[in-house]
Amino acid sequence: MNWLNRRVRGFRLIDLVAFSVLACLILGVYLAKTIAGRERTEIARIDRQIDDEKARIRLLQAEVSHLEEPQRIERLSEAYLGLAPAPMKHRANLDQLPALAGTPAAAPAKPFQPSVDPMQIAAPQPPAPLPEATQMAAVAQPGGPQ
Amino acid sequence: MSLAQQTFGGSGLSRIASGLIWRLEHAFERARASGKPEDDTRIRIFVLLAMFGLLFVALAVFATRATVFSDAGKGDGWTPPIGAARADLVDRNGQMLAADLLHYGLYIDPREIWDLGETRRVLTAALPEMSPLRLEKALSGNRRVFVVGGLTPEVRATIHDLGLPGVSFEPEQKRVYPLNYTAAHLIGFADTGGLGLAGAEAALNDQVRAAAASHGSVPLSIDLRIQATVEDELYKACAQFRPKGGVGVVINVHTGEILALANYPTFDPNRPGAYSLDARLNRAAQSIYEMGSTFKGFTVATGLDTGVATPTSTFDATHPYQLGYRTIHDYHATHKILTLVEVFQHSSNIGTARLGEEIGPERLHAYFDRFGLTQPAKTELLESARPLTPRKWDIDAIASTSFGHGINVTPLALARAYSGLLNGGELLPLTIKKLPAGTVVHGPRMIKESTALTLLQIMRSNVTGGSGKSANVPGLNVGGKTGTGDKWEPAARRYSSTKQVSSFAAVFPTDGALSDPRYFVLVLMDEPQRTTGVDPTGGIVAAPAAGRIIERIAPFLGVKPRPETFPFSQVPEDPSGEEH
Repeated sequence: MNWLNRRVRGFRLIDLVAFSVLACLILGVYLAKTIAGRERTEIARIDRQIDDEKARIRLLQAEVSHLEEPQRIERLSEAYLGLAPAPMKHRANLDQLPALAGTPAAAPAKPFQPSVDPMQIAAPQPPAPLPEATQMAAVAQPGGPQ
Repeated sequence: MSLAQQTFGGSGLSRIASGLIWRLEHAFERARASGKPEDDTRIRIFVLLAMFGLLFVALAVFATRATVFSDAGKGDGWTPPIGAARADLVDRNGQMLAADLLHYGLYIDPREIWDLGETRRVLTAALPEMSPLRLEKALSGNRRVFVVGGLTPEVRATIHDLGLPGVSFEPEQKRVYPLNYTAAHLIGFADTGGLGLAGAEAALNDQVRAAAASHGSVPLSIDLRIQATVEDELYKACAQFRPKGGVGVVINVHTGEILALANYPTFDPNRPGAYSLDARLNRAAQSIYEMGSTFKGFTVATGLDTGVATPTSTFDATHPYQLGYRTIHDYHATHKILTLVEVFQHSSNIGTARLGEEIGPERLHAYFDRFGLTQPAKTELLESARPLTPRKWDIDAIASTSFGHGINVTPLALARAYSGLLNGGELLPLTIKKLPAGTVVHGPRMIKESTALTLLQIMRSNVTGGSGKSANVPGLNVGGKTGTGDKWEPAARRYSSTKQVSSFAAVFPTDGALSDPRYFVLVLMDEPQRTTGVDPTGGIVAAPAAGRIIERIAPFLGVKPRPETFPFSQVPEDPSGEEH
């Protein structure tokens, strides 16, 4: 342990080494805290950004869902593309294609009824009152279900 | 003078320090001189220093670890915003149906505003839909108040960028239904406090809240493509026949999953308060109807299952039949002796009543109980209404209930009972929750499997050669039963001849084994109008719509075209010759 007792300018080497280690640790911790604080601020900023982006993504998902509303797509496809659901007789499996190749083209499908906005459907009209004779018949024959 | 004294010089403080070190050095020498190295103060000091050093290093390591490797930024980075109480509702394919979205509420503190006029002008221009009265009240007050909510992040950013003093925002969650009126009654709606009030939002309230905590979503049983198709065809039919109300339902008979549930009129769950109670009424679950002839399926199934009848059994429908207090007529009188299949095909009230009479009140009541027709439809929907059933099951009750009068049930109850008949005979609960693929659901047995198979063929025969012809779709082997129930008018104490409930209960495909995929479709209209010059019966108003629905949804369900079947096209004479 002689080297520990060596003195440099009156101070023992061990004291100087311990002091140096202490100083390094203090500096290290200070630097680590400072850098970590900066990183923490950056992480918080990125977290906020991620939250904002996630909220925006959800908003966009809802927007996409709204734009993909089936009735809307159907109305647009009818109006701009002239598309309509394929009738059953126009559907075939791959296996059926060779057999269909030699057959004449299928008859055109019935005209497709355009979509209806449920908010635009006319309210039902109250039924016209029946002639008295009919009313009596209705009383006599309750229920004529089919 | 020691080295220490030489080094520190002559100041007062340095002299004291030098003195201390000198005494310390001498203490070391005294200890060495006395031959007791364990008393060497330097060793003690070294040990103490080492301990403190180690402690400090440990503290430094932990402090560094705590700061550099803290949990900040870990996790998925998504923190539930304030009030995020409800999870997303999605359809069975993951399509968004309802979601909590981050919005902002605008607050005004008039004490911080410099220029009231400018603030009023700018806010009115930025938010034209804002109530001017509310804005004025906020501006003339003396405290911070809420002015308007539901601002999107974009709108908030626009106003925020104006830099108006005294104008601030607070985040809030808003329940949004991006598909507007699509599946509105099934999805339902929730209040601003995050409590489900109707539909799945109310029925699955706890599940939706629990899923919100884990950032999950709640998948419903509906398939948006099927839902949209049912709504489209229902609304088209409603536009044509202008009924008071309409219902469309599609069910997987093997699982009880509701694949579509449509109502007319409908509403936008984003603004439920803007619609009438009638528009918000879930007719499929809440309204009870005298269904009419769709009930003949139940009577026929009972007759077959009890052995009272076979498809070839005959029933005299040549004349009106007096049963109990009632004289029963046929709408399209055949004046013939009909087989059971023909009774079904011609929807003969007389034949069905005769069958009901042979079954007997007790057995018919017991079977209607088994079919679930005397209880609310078992489903998660809280709206499921109780049926109206006869007080006494006697011959008078048979005269009505055997063909769907004198008993009022919801469309869902009818759908549940039919699904049970068509899945092989097990009564299953209906569900609005998506079941995992391959789930096998079992329920109490209602009828024998053989009865279910026969009923499938009878229903098919009704579409190939009976009242349900307009529902036929080539290649899909559709089966079904029409129903037209005259409505009871309590004020007049009679059945109306102008107000009916017209429906069509369909199943497809009817061929194959009982375990094969099979779907039930119900289209119902309440008081359809006589717009086509013919009576708006089930075969006129509901069957074509059901056929179109089936044709369009078959590809979504993976039902492939198949060879057509024509069961009972040649019904042989009843070998026993017995007339029913």
